[in-house]
Parts: sequence; C-alpha cells; structure tokens
Amino acid sequence: MTTSAPADHDALAQALRDRVLDGPGESDRALRQAAAERAAGGLAMEDPYDALAQAIGTASYPVTDAQVARVVEAAGGEKAAFEIIAAAAVGAGLQRWRQAVKALTEASDAPPRNRPRR
Amino acid sequence: MRLHEIDRGDSFVHRLLIGFISLVSRMRLPDAARVAFYHRDFFAPMGAWTQAAMRGPSAWSVVERELMAAMVAKWNSCSFCVGAHGAVAAKAMERSLVDAALADYHTAPITDGLKATLRFLEIMTLRPAELTAEDASAAIAAGVDAEALRDAAAVATTFNIITRYANALDFALPTADEFARAATMLLKRGYAS
Repeated sequence: MTTSAPADHDALAQALRDRVLDGPGESDRALRQAAAERAAGGLAMEDPYDALAQAIGTASYPVTDAQVARVVEAAGGEKAAFEIIAAAAVGAGLQRWRQAVKALTEASDAPPRNRPRR
Repeated sequence: MRLHEIDRGDSFVHRLLIGFISLVSRMRLPDAARVAFYHRDFFAPMGAWTQAAMRGPSAWSVVERELMAAMVAKWNSCSFCVGAHGAVAAKAMERSLVDAALADYHTAPITDGLKATLRFLEIMTLRPAELTAEDASAAIAAGVDAEALRDAAAVATTFNIITRYANALDFALPTADEFARAATMLLKRGYAS
C-alpha cells in the first residue's frame, strides 16, 4: 500500500485522450478519432482501417499480419499505423473508463447503504 | 512484433538503449518496453497513467494491482500480459495463488473485497455496456472503498488499452524464465520509461 495524494485518474485519462486523439501526429486526427469510435462500438470506417479498429475493440487476439500491413500501407508508414492502433485501443479503454465512472457515480449518489472501508 | 520500427527502435539513442539493456539483462528486451521507447512524443501519456495506476498511491498493494492487470489480460486473451503481470504478482504472492486466481477467481483464496472488485472489472472488460451502479454497490458492500474501486477501474482501463495493442502488434512471448527476470525489473523500475 502506498499513501500520499491520490492519483487524478480523470486528468490522466483526459491527457491521454487529448494527445492520442486530438494531438498532432503522422496520421490524420480524424482517422484516429474514427478508429477510437469504431473500437468503442461506433460507426464503421473506411477500409482497411475498419477491420483492424473493430477487431481491436472486440477481440484483438485474432488480428493478423495482413490487417496491420494493409494499415501501414494505407496510413503511409509504421508510425502512422502505430498511432491508429493506439487510438483504437485507447478508444476501447476509455469507453470502459466512462462506464466504470458512471457506475461509481450512480452508486455514490444512491441512498447510503452499507459502505464500509476496505 | 508487426511494426519493425518498434522492434529496432526509432532513434539512434533508442537503438543503443535497446541493445544495451538486452546485453546487460542477457535477454531480448520485451516488446512492452520497446513500445515504451517508441514515438515518445505521441504516447508518453499512456506511460504516465499506467505508472500512476500501477505504482501510485492506492489502497491496493502493487501485487494486487498486478494481479488485476493479469486478470484483464486473461479476459482479453493476451498471453504476453498474462505472463508478464502474473510473473510480477508471483514475486510477492505464492505462484499457486496467482494461478488459482487466473483459473477461477471466484474460488481462489483471495479476499472477498478483491473477488468483488474482480467481478466489477470482469464486466467492465467483457460487457462494458452492462456495467451498472449495482455492480459498484456490490463491491462496496463487500468492503471495498469507492476510491479503491475507482483505482481498480483505472488499472483495468490501462490494461484494456495495453492488452489490445499488445495483441494487435503481436508481442513476442518470452520464456517463463525471461518473464520472471523481466518481472524483477518491472517491480523495481515501474512503468515510467
């Protein structure tokens, strides 16, 4: 156990989102944002990005060499492809963070019941 | 590793560093560390949040958080992360306990609070749209402080991201001995690159 000021997870989540989805990069911001949305269950995007972003959001283990190679080619390089892969993963992760925060907030707003400390 | 620039390093300094660490540790630097060195200007906030979630102030011990990370990796079928974080947890917890939790956390000899938290994290990982206030309340009723549950959710979030890019990039799988040696480094140095 460690003690001192608690981590500000909301600020850290926002900083990650701001940099990966809104910041400058080798890839187009709109493409990164679309990949993040797609991985969180959002609208389909253009090929070849759609299959990869969708797989990263739902089941990332069957992703293939060919799927990644096509994205490298379409995005114009490995760094741009990395940004898109990272954006999709961040989109899926932050969707889960929002759900967890919502569940916790609603539980905290509920009438007090049994809330012992751990 | 599907992106060769990550494998070899994207700058002269990083190539030297990857080579040096591999030489000194007498093992190939794991792909997770290579990603941490890659495109730093773009992905540094990921390392910052992971470090805060895994090593920052929390009611959860480092070992408990490493076990949560391994569980998220299991649910997302990420063999690399199960191996890496199971090995870190096993540095301060019986290996049989880590294996029991990975096999079935419901029956593993861990605290009720940790079990209830893992249930919350399992729904969050596998069926996020189904996660409700009742799930949070169930963990709180099992004795988990709301702030501790939030910390656990941050661990699960960062590992829902890491496991996804680890799978998409096809991280190479170290041997059990290499995982154990890498775990010592991860325990000592944390996630900040």
